[in-house]
Amino acid sequence: MNVDLELVQRVQAGDKKAFDVLILKYQQRIVHVITGFVHDPVEALDVAQEAFIKAYRAIPNFRGDSAFYTWLYRIAINTAKNHLTSRARRPPAVDVDAMDATNFYDAPELKEFETPESSLMSDELKQTIHQAIQDLPEDTATAIKLRELEGMSYEEIAQAMECPIGTVRSRIFRARDAIDKQIQETMGEGE
Amino acid sequence: MTVNQNELLSALVDGELTGRELDDALHLLDTNEQARMQLQRYQRGSDVMHEHGLAHHQIDLTGRISAVIEDEETYSSITEANKNTAQIIAFPKQFWKQAASLAVAASIGALAVVGVMTQPQNQLVPTAQMASVEVETTPMVVAQTGKRWTVQEQEVEERLNNYLVDHNEYAGASGVFSYARVVSYDMGQ
Repeated sequence: MNVDLELVQRVQAGDKKAFDVLILKYQQRIVHVITGFVHDPVEALDVAQEAFIKAYRAIPNFRGDSAFYTWLYRIAINTAKNHLTSRARRPPAVDVDAMDATNFYDAPELKEFETPESSLMSDELKQTIHQAIQDLPEDTATAIKLRELEGMSYEEIAQAMECPIGTVRSRIFRARDAIDKQIQETMGEGE
Repeated sequence: MTVNQNELLSALVDGELTGRELDDALHLLDTNEQARMQLQRYQRGSDVMHEHGLAHHQIDLTGRISAVIEDEETYSSITEANKNTAQIIAFPKQFWKQAASLAVAASIGALAVVGVMTQPQNQLVPTAQMASVEVETTPMVVAQTGKRWTVQEQEVEERLNNYLVDHNEYAGASGVFSYARVVSYDMGQ
């Protein structure tokens, strides 16, 4: 079963901690999407919080007909639009299909909020990750690329690389850990 | 944090945990703040690779949201409450049995009324032509002068009378215009 769906079912069964995991998983994306509308990072946090709370209250109605993120994305977009309307501000004319939610960031109208500094930092992080992957052993680099760039499941990667699923999981973890360490170094975060 | 724990979190980012392992991950995240931070960092790396967010804006909304929803009822408790409410207003089984019996009785009664009303009454309603055919030698005392039928055969007369009485009994209840107001006994009878 899909992990998101299992987490949703746990929330529906009364497990609020499962909702924490869904927040941890999607907060960065949701805040980024909302920032595209409200153009203010601090305001975006409040709107994102409101969107997650709405999602929690509506979660009994979630039946899994769409992916959880698609459903959450719709709530976030509506919350952002309502927020702008309540502030007598006009929502962006652009509308993005929820099914294209993961490609949302390509919409140029919604990238205006990026400052030169943040844009520079994003580029630097991408370069850091690229370099971190280059430095990995070939099998590990292939595993993380198939996972993150091709979107393949562990089972599909195991078939492609002709190795056990456990090995795939271990390789992806090592790659992810190495990438994380490089990101922390770039951002000046200490352990 | 052990390597296995970190590997568990990495698999959670990929959505590759189910059942017992998911339980373990949830427990770890609930009890270990470092695990939560590690999960966020792994998720951040994934988000940056997918261009899903700006990694330099590290955020954590869980505390703020948890504080708001902490006192809210969970879905399961609401469902349970609804079940209890439903039990309070539920009718006892005996009620449904009685209702079913009443429904059957009412259906039979309705059938009886319909049966009576749909009888081919035109054969029984006296007309001048009919009377003249059946009773040739005696003068007719029929509808033209009175408001009730006059039939020579006693058996038919009684049958008609019974129909009239039955009809009157049901007409009021069923909303049917009372036939007895049109055809009835003569004055003094």
